Amino acid sequence: MNFPAELKYSKDHEWVIMDGGVAVIGITDFAQDALGDVVFVNLPQEGDEVGMGEAFGDVESVKAVSDLNSPVSGTVCAVNEAALDSPESLNSDPYGTWLIKVQDLGDTEELMDAEAYKAFCDTVA
Amino acid sequence: MSELKRTVLYQAHVDAGADMVDFGGWDMPVQYPSGIIAEHLFTRSECSLFDVSHMGRLIVGGPDRLKFLQKVLTNDASALEIGRAQYTIIPAEDGSAVDDAYLYRFTDDRCLLVINAANIEKDKDWLLPIAEGFDCFVSDISGETGSIAVQGPRSRDMLSSLKGGEAIASMKRNDILSLTLEGRSMMISRTGYTGEPLGYEVFASNEDTVWLWGKLLEMGAKPAGLGARDTLRMEASMPLYGHEMGLDADGKPMPIYAVFLAKFAVSFAEGKEDMIGYEALAKQHEAFLKILEGDHSLTADLPRRIQPITLLDRGVIRAGMPVFKDGEQVGWVTSGTMIPYHVIEGEGKDAVFTGSTGKRAIGAAYMDSTIAEGDKVEVEVRGRRLSAVVSKTHLKNSKIPYAIPVING
Repeated sequence: MNFPAELKYSKDHEWVIMDGGVAVIGITDFAQDALGDVVFVNLPQEGDEVGMGEAFGDVESVKAVSDLNSPVSGTVCAVNEAALDSPESLNSDPYGTWLIKVQDLGDTEELMDAEAYKAFCDTVA
Repeated sequence: MSELKRTVLYQAHVDAGADMVDFGGWDMPVQYPSGIIAEHLFTRSECSLFDVSHMGRLIVGGPDRLKFLQKVLTNDASALEIGRAQYTIIPAEDGSAVDDAYLYRFTDDRCLLVINAANIEKDKDWLLPIAEGFDCFVSDISGETGSIAVQGPRSRDMLSSLKGGEAIASMKRNDILSLTLEGRSMMISRTGYTGEPLGYEVFASNEDTVWLWGKLLEMGAKPAGLGARDTLRMEASMPLYGHEMGLDADGKPMPIYAVFLAKFAVSFAEGKEDMIGYEALAKQHEAFLKILEGDHSLTADLPRRIQPITLLDRGVIRAGMPVFKDGEQVGWVTSGTMIPYHVIEGEGKDAVFTGSTGKRAIGAAYMDSTIAEGDKVEVEVRGRRLSAVVSKTHLKNSKIPYAIPVING
């Protein structure tokens, strides 16, 4: 299980990295492993507002649908088409497959560093 | 909380790293580390093993067994020859299904009835009281036996290469045999729930079931769980009790003839007069025949039917989603998910696997019988109405050894 040190992590198993004033968001290795084969991704559109702790989309596996919850509030400024076209890349490369970029950030959840997130995953596994 | 039941292969699943789930009170593998998609694809290109030991296995025997079977099952048991098996349904008086099942006639004097794991107690509560009115017996041998489904293009070669398995190579669909594989007694049928043209189900003692599982894995078969079992049967448009049979989304019993396979499972031959649900089924049958010709004069007796559907817009259809036509609700999705397929050119022995795979959002829906193949409908997927088309079939499997996906829309 992979926990890159340069990223921050949410309790909902998303990773976040700040790029200037823009939050780049994806799902973690722990999340993709728990989901199984991702067969479909629903994402918002550029310009959509997202709210901290609210669903901004979902990922579908063969058996289930899981919400993607935003760790930040703001405005979506980019959506990863590659993730939409090849949902399986969330399994093969979760940290290389960002989902959305959010600007005009308002509230942000308290995020964990890699070590804290790893410890958190040990409690929920 | 009572403990989940375990099959004889439980430890094998755990050792293989399977994700285990509660399936009708059984601790069963939903997938192995390879995942549902890989397991589905491997079945279609090679050979997968499915632990089906959790299913119910009932032996029916005694002097009046035929009269009993003719009453409680829809098939014509008198036409079932020794060495043959048949898909059948346990009907209720109103023409709906108590369960679907498979009847195997291994010997002259007794039959094996295999029923769904989730319905074992319900089916026994239904069948045993009726059996008391006949000079016959119904014995539950589920606990003393195990069962493995061996499905895929390489299944025949693998099984027939085992010592004692030579006769397997010439089995026709629905043939059954008692034989000894490497010195172990087994019963084998050329049957299955995957839509594979080549596939077998083996019934053996608990110990021999464990042996066979390990032996076939050594030979290159791979285990597949309940997740792939569901995607495979869904791609093959095979009904699942609780989805295409049983109660609809409104809680109303679904007519047996809503499922196309009823055509093969239900008989009104001489000897079937006492069949439970005869009158209701006969009415459904008349309506069914007319509907297939586009004649809707009797459609009140079969107002809704199950048909394969293919989603055309981006998304995934799932059981329970409402289906609309021209703005009116006409039914529901009964089964659906994203299902993988091999991109194959040609068919039969000359089929070529191109090496690439695809995924498609397909399934089945219970819709007004006036809706026909080729019609466009809309499926409400989490608040949005997406376009879908009613399809004839998702899979072609008449030519050995490969099932060929039929991509609609």
